[in-house]
Amino acid sequence: MVHYNLKRITVVPTGKDFVDIVLSRTQRQTPTVIHKSYAINRIRQFYMRKVKYTQATFDEKLGTIIDEFPQLDDIHPFYGDLMNVLYDRDHYKLALGQLRTAKRLVEKICKDYVKLLKYGDSLYRCKQLKKAALGRMCTLMKRVGPSLAYLEQVRQHMARLPSIDPNTRTILICGYPNVGKSSFINKITRADVDVQPYAFTTKSLFVGHTDYKYLRWQVIDTPGILDHPLEDRNTIEMLSITALAHIRAAVLFFVDVSGSCGYSIAQQAALFNSIRPLFDNKPLLVVCSKIDLQSLESLPEEDRQLIMEMKKEASKCSGGIASEMMVEDDDCLLTMSTLTEEGVINVKNTACEKLLQHRVEGKMKSKKLEDVRNRIHVAMPRPRDTRERPPVIPAGVLEARAAAAPRAPRRLEKDLENENGGAGVYSANLRRRYILADESWKEDVVPEIADGHNIADFIDTDILKRLDELDREEHQREEGESEEEDMDDDEFRKLSPEEQEALAAIRLARRNIREEHRLKKTTADSRPMVPRKHDKDKRFTVSRMERHLSNLGIDPSAAAARARSKSRGRKRDRSLGYDEEAGVEAMDVEQPKSKKLRMKSRTRSQSRASMEVVPGEGFKDSAQKQQALALGKKAMKKRNKFARKGEADRTIVNLRPKHLFAGKRSTGKTDRR
Amino acid sequence: MRLEKCWFCSSTIYPGHGMMYVRNDAKIFRFCRSKCHKNFKMKRNPRKVKWTKIYRKLHGKELPQDTTFELERKRNRPERYDRNVVEDTVKAMKKISETRVEREAQTLANRMRGKKTQQRREDLAELQQGIHLVKAPTALLEEPSLTLPKEKMKVKVSVEQESKAMES
Repeated sequence: MVHYNLKRITVVPTGKDFVDIVLSRTQRQTPTVIHKSYAINRIRQFYMRKVKYTQATFDEKLGTIIDEFPQLDDIHPFYGDLMNVLYDRDHYKLALGQLRTAKRLVEKICKDYVKLLKYGDSLYRCKQLKKAALGRMCTLMKRVGPSLAYLEQVRQHMARLPSIDPNTRTILICGYPNVGKSSFINKITRADVDVQPYAFTTKSLFVGHTDYKYLRWQVIDTPGILDHPLEDRNTIEMLSITALAHIRAAVLFFVDVSGSCGYSIAQQAALFNSIRPLFDNKPLLVVCSKIDLQSLESLPEEDRQLIMEMKKEASKCSGGIASEMMVEDDDCLLTMSTLTEEGVINVKNTACEKLLQHRVEGKMKSKKLEDVRNRIHVAMPRPRDTRERPPVIPAGVLEARAAAAPRAPRRLEKDLENENGGAGVYSANLRRRYILADESWKEDVVPEIADGHNIADFIDTDILKRLDELDREEHQREEGESEEEDMDDDEFRKLSPEEQEALAAIRLARRNIREEHRLKKTTADSRPMVPRKHDKDKRFTVSRMERHLSNLGIDPSAAAARARSKSRGRKRDRSLGYDEEAGVEAMDVEQPKSKKLRMKSRTRSQSRASMEVVPGEGFKDSAQKQQALALGKKAMKKRNKFARKGEADRTIVNLRPKHLFAGKRSTGKTDRR
Repeated sequence: MRLEKCWFCSSTIYPGHGMMYVRNDAKIFRFCRSKCHKNFKMKRNPRKVKWTKIYRKLHGKELPQDTTFELERKRNRPERYDRNVVEDTVKAMKKISETRVEREAQTLANRMRGKKTQQRREDLAELQQGIHLVKAPTALLEEPSLTLPKEKMKVKVSVEQESKAMES
C-alpha cells in the first residue's frame, strides 16, 4: 500500500502555468543554437530532442500529480468516505483520469512527430514539425486545465484536514447542533474549537488529544447532526456520519437537557434512534450536558422516560458483557456541565475506560492474543521454606499512619501577631523560646561591652578558678617585689640647684652654637641675610664684649680699655689718666676717667655740621641751610639692609593681576599659578 | 556589637570608627583610622613601625605575654547564657584589668630601672665637660665649683655707661 502524505502534495499548476513551465524548461535544458547550414541529421536530431524533452517533462509532471493524489480505494475507508463527502468521488476520479489520458496522448503526439521529424528535409520543415508537436501538447494541456484547477483546490483542502488516525483509541462526540460538544472538547483537550450560540458553528471535524492511563487518546468533535434521512443530509452532517460510520471509537451522544440548543429532548431522542445503527459495536455513552441549567431530576416525566430509554439502548449496543447479560449499565448515562465543570472529567474517564475494555476484549478474542501470551512469562520465585515474609513497614510510617487524624490547631506566632495589632505594630518577642537553665533569665539585659573590652571574650564557666590563679600569681609577684630592694642608690648624687642652672646654661650655649652654625651654613638664597655691618644683633661693641666676659666670670675692664685705646684718634691722649686741657691728671677730675675718654673718643663718621650760615656757602638763611643739609642727608640715605619690611612692602596694590590669574597654558595644568 | 582590634596598631575600634578591608582571599583587615589604613596600603610591616603595639611588644617595651591576656580570648563557640556566669565575668573583668595595669606598670618600672643613675652620671659628665662654655678657666681656677660665675659689679656699670653714651 502506498503511503500518501496528504499534507505534502506538490502544487498543481494551472493549465497555462503548466505549459509555461514545461516550455521554458525545454528552452533552457536543450541546445538552442541551430543553423540551416548544419548537417540535416544534426538539424533533425536537434528538433527531435526538443520534442522528446517536452514530452518527457509533461510525463514527469503529470506522473507526480497522479501518484501523489491518493486513490480513494487504497486509503482507509474513513478517509475515502470523507473525501467522497468533501470532494465528490466521481469528480475526483474523473479529474485524475483526465490527467492520465492527457499523459498518454502527449506520449502519442511525441511518437508521431518524432517519426515525422525523421524525414524532415530542411531546417524550416523540422522546425515547423517541432512547433506543431509542441503546440498540440500545449493545447491538450489547456483542455485539461479545469481538472488541474479542481485538483489544486482539492489539494489545498486536503492539506488542512485534521490528521485523524482511524486505528488508534478515539472518542467521538456527536449530537444535535449547539448541545455543547465543542465546549466539551475544549475542556478536555488543548483544541481551541469555536464555540458560538448559533447552530453549525463547527463545520468540520476537529481533533484534540488527551491523556488517560498514560495513553494518548484522540477526541473528535463533529458538526451537529439534524434528524432527517441520509439522502437529505448536507456535506457537513455527512462528515459526522462518516466519522461515526468508519472509526471504531467510543461514542458520546450529547443530549441537551435544558433545551437551550433549540431542540427538545424528544427530537434528540428521535435522532438517537435514527442513527442508532451507526453505534453498533461501539461503546456508547449518553451524556446529558448543560446540567447547570436544568437538572435531571427536575425534568418532566416523559423526557426522563426518553432519556432512560436511550440509556437502555446505549447499554445494549455497547456490546460486551453488559449486553450479553442484558443488564442496564449505570455508566451509560452521565451528566455534566461544561460551565461549572462538574462531571466533565468523569465523562472522559468513563468513556476511556469503556473503550479500553472494549478494545481489550476485542484483542482477547482475536488470535493475536495467543501469540502474545505465548511469549509472556511471569517468573514467580520458588518458595524455599514455609516461612512467612510479610512486607516491612518502618515504625515511623506506622506512627504517621496512626497519627493521621488531624491534631487540634496550635496557637501560632502568626495568630499572636494578628491579635496584637498586625505585622507593623507587633514585634515578636524572640526570647520567648530561649532554652535556659532558669526561666527568669529570659528577659535579662545582657551587656556586651565594658570598659573597652568585649564581655563575650571573657566569658568562661570556670572564670572564678582562673581568677583565683591570678590572685595567687599576684601574691607571688608582690612578695618577689618586696624582696627586691630599690637598686636606685646614690651611686651618683643629685645635682644641686646651682649645678642644674649651670647645666641648663651649658645646654643653652650648646644649642645656640649649633643654631648659629646652621644659620651660617645657609646662603642668602634661602633666608634674608642682613650684612653684619647693619645687623643690630651682631654688633661687636665693647659693651657687649664686657658683658660677655663678665658672664664668663672674667673682669672685663682691662680688655675694654685696650679695645677703646685702639679706636681713639692718635693726636689725643694716649695714656689713660692724663687730661691735656685741664693740665691735671684725670684722677682729679670729678668725672670718672672712662666717661671723659668716651666723650672724647669718636669715630670718624660722627662729624657735626653747624646751623650758622657761613658766607660763601651760598645759603640765604639758616633755615635754607638746614633744608639743604636735610636734603643732602636724605639723598645719602642708606639702603635698608636690615631685611625689614619697607614702605614698598606694605601694600599689594593688585592682589590678583590678570597676567597671573588668567589664560591657558600650552602644556600642563593651570591649577597652580 | 563587638569591639575589634585594629590590624595595624592593635588599638580598639569603637563602633562608628575605622574601616574594614576584605581581601580576595577573604581575610579581613580592620583599621582604626586612616593613618593605619594608609600605612597598610604602603605595605609597611607593623612590626617595624615604632608606634604600634606589636612593635612595642616585640621589642620589649611592653608586657608581651601574660595570663591576663590569655583570659581575654575570642571564643568562637557561643556559650549558653547563664546569669551567674555573666555576673562573675563582669566582676572578674574589673579585677583582671587592674592586675594587668599593675603588671604593665611593673614592666615599665623594670625597664626604667637604673635610668636615674645613668641620667645623673651623664649630667655630671656633661657639666664637667661643658662648664668652659659658661665659666672662663680663670674663674674656674678661682672657684672650682661647677656653678655659674657670680654676678660682677661690672655688669651694672657697663649698662649705665652705655645708656649715657646713647644720650650724648
